[in-house]
Amino acid sequence: MAGLGKFLVRRGLTFVPTLIGVTLIVFIIAYVIPANPVRAWAGGEKATKAAVELIKAEYHLNQPWYDQYLFLIKGLFTNSLLDPLNQVPVFTNIGNRFIVTFQLALFAFFFVVLMGLPLGIISAIKRNSITDMVLRILALVFISTPIYVMAYLFIWVFFIHWNLTTLAGIPPAPPHQITHIPVIDSIITLNWSNFVEQVQRFWLPGFTLGIAAAGVLMRFTRNSFLEAYSRDSTLFLKAKGVPKSRLYRHVLKNALVPVITILALQFGGLLAGTPITETIFNLPGIGLYALQSVMYLDFPALIGVTFLYAIVFVTANLIADILYALVDPRVRF
Amino acid sequence: MGNNTKEAYEEREEYEMSILDKISDKIIDGVALFINLIKRDWKKRNQSKIQEWKLMAYALNRSPPALLGLVIVIAYIILGIIGPYLASWPYDFFPVMYNSTSRLAAPGSNVFLNVTMVKNWHVIHYTTTVHYSIGSDLFGRDLLSVLLAGARTALVLDVFIILIGPTFGIILGLISGYHGGAIDEIIMRITDMFLAFPGLILAIALSAVLPGRIQNFLNYHPFAQTLVLKLFALEPRDVNNLGKLLAVFVALIIVWWPGYTRIARGSTLTERENLYVEAARAIGLSSRTIMFRHILPNIIGPILVMITMDFGNVILTEAGLSFLGLGAVPPIPDWGNLINQGAQYFPQAWWLVAFPGIVIVTVVLGWNLLGDGLRDILDPRTRRSMEFKVKKKSRTEGGESNA
Repeated sequence: MAGLGKFLVRRGLTFVPTLIGVTLIVFIIAYVIPANPVRAWAGGEKATKAAVELIKAEYHLNQPWYDQYLFLIKGLFTNSLLDPLNQVPVFTNIGNRFIVTFQLALFAFFFVVLMGLPLGIISAIKRNSITDMVLRILALVFISTPIYVMAYLFIWVFFIHWNLTTLAGIPPAPPHQITHIPVIDSIITLNWSNFVEQVQRFWLPGFTLGIAAAGVLMRFTRNSFLEAYSRDSTLFLKAKGVPKSRLYRHVLKNALVPVITILALQFGGLLAGTPITETIFNLPGIGLYALQSVMYLDFPALIGVTFLYAIVFVTANLIADILYALVDPRVRF
Repeated sequence: MGNNTKEAYEEREEYEMSILDKISDKIIDGVALFINLIKRDWKKRNQSKIQEWKLMAYALNRSPPALLGLVIVIAYIILGIIGPYLASWPYDFFPVMYNSTSRLAAPGSNVFLNVTMVKNWHVIHYTTTVHYSIGSDLFGRDLLSVLLAGARTALVLDVFIILIGPTFGIILGLISGYHGGAIDEIIMRITDMFLAFPGLILAIALSAVLPGRIQNFLNYHPFAQTLVLKLFALEPRDVNNLGKLLAVFVALIIVWWPGYTRIARGSTLTERENLYVEAARAIGLSSRTIMFRHILPNIIGPILVMITMDFGNVILTEAGLSFLGLGAVPPIPDWGNLINQGAQYFPQAWWLVAFPGIVIVTVVLGWNLLGDGLRDILDPRTRRSMEFKVKKKSRTEGGESNA
């Protein structure tokens, strides 16, 4: 395990320059590029000069760039960067919304694993058959269909026709909060009615969000399984006369190693892919917050969200790497 | 021995040829002739390369999904080029100004228009009927015409983003992997910074902040303005909408290069250790020649597959951004924007979501099918198996005819 410790330290160290780089890019995006958002914050064309100057001073926009950068960094890490729309620190705004996004990604992840893994394995076991072909086409269609088209198709089928979901509001969190993720809390506290409410609201957006990732996972699992199947060890087991079910169990163990890391990456991808889903299903998550901040030229909010996304994404990558190193010792060296 | 090789050679000539194979042979011969015109003796010196291309084409011809993908892709490209001229109504003609029933007209309906417009300082007055074969949008525009005109927008964005982004990424990756050391470290750290952002989020942020700057730039550079208008087949009066459109363009280029840098660097690192690179260095070739003439052709296979698939992904992302209201705004014809319009009136105006959706799915599917096929063709193992299949058939048939 000494190798693992060293690997973790090394991998953790590359995290730091990336984080600094992320703040730099965020700074360039929000402070250097836009023409002049201050007038819009102050109230459009009618804003007085004094108001504009006041806002400029508040956000250090009249200072040299390094001062602006330091102000931004300080604001991001101490949560003192204010959203000009409601004068609340950006990350306080984001906090509640992140729970919605996280829960959405959780539901999507559930569907990804539920569909992607078994279908991929079936496709691999029945390779080059009709079943395989149908599943492969299905995966390809999943990947190629834009999420907004899929979403409206599903809304039409599941909401307008069968009325299997609710599309308005957000069910309240259960009274006892442990993890602060409503659906997990309702399971832990055995709050059945709340759980049903959460599922009713979230299953369709989750399903929609997860379907493209499920297609990717199907293809990946199939390839990984076939790759593991073509190894010499499989040939040896076959020669030894091991029955098919046990043979597949061995193959599966090898095949799942890369799949686990892909899963970690996919969870990051699901969290990042929420803006469109949240817009369509009207879920007040951080994706919707980012889009609203774009609409109102609310750059501090945009910075906060972008920064948060980058951190989540980088962390997901880090977890994927660590998982890979854990399950496959060869990677560490 | 000599006799044997001759036989093998002759046998290779006796592939079972379908019409497609003959067509692809003709095309490749044509291309070879064309290159021969530019570079003398090219054909003579590259016989083996031409043969390799022909074999690749045979493999492609024997993979129906890849062929389907190719057909879709070619149709998309042709429509992208001539689409705006096929459209029966110009994209900036708003029937809703003359007859409000043309707004969100259902598929198959006809709307009578009493048009009064000013053209070249003359008031023109005429009546006309618009037939909406697949419905109309919020402005009463014929959906089919807008879809056709939108093909150009999609294609131009698609091609230029892929031409610029990945090329830049591959060049950086080659430099980084080949030179190593401090250059490698700097390039890869910058790449990591960009890779730290989820693509869609970075694209959203950039296309939100870029339009102002780009619009300013265009207003001061009339030449760039006309060039962009010509490329997208837009009318000069739309010049003030270009900022948002090009913001998406720049945003997607920025999003799309880092992935390629990482991949190109990885393959360059392994390729660099090969003996032929050392030999090239020993005879004093410049680094640039080694990188682009020797290493690049050897690592390009998997990257080409990725590029093919990314043609589809760019369409998806671009349409997604315009669905979110970033990027192309009406009257600029754009598939994603049509869905954005339809979303507000969803179950009633289903055609605004359905038809652009079908178009996008078809095109993206086409690129993905082609990419899958290319992966099989460019992978030497699977290609050989395809070639053997071809050969075996011709051999058995030959045997029968001999008997």
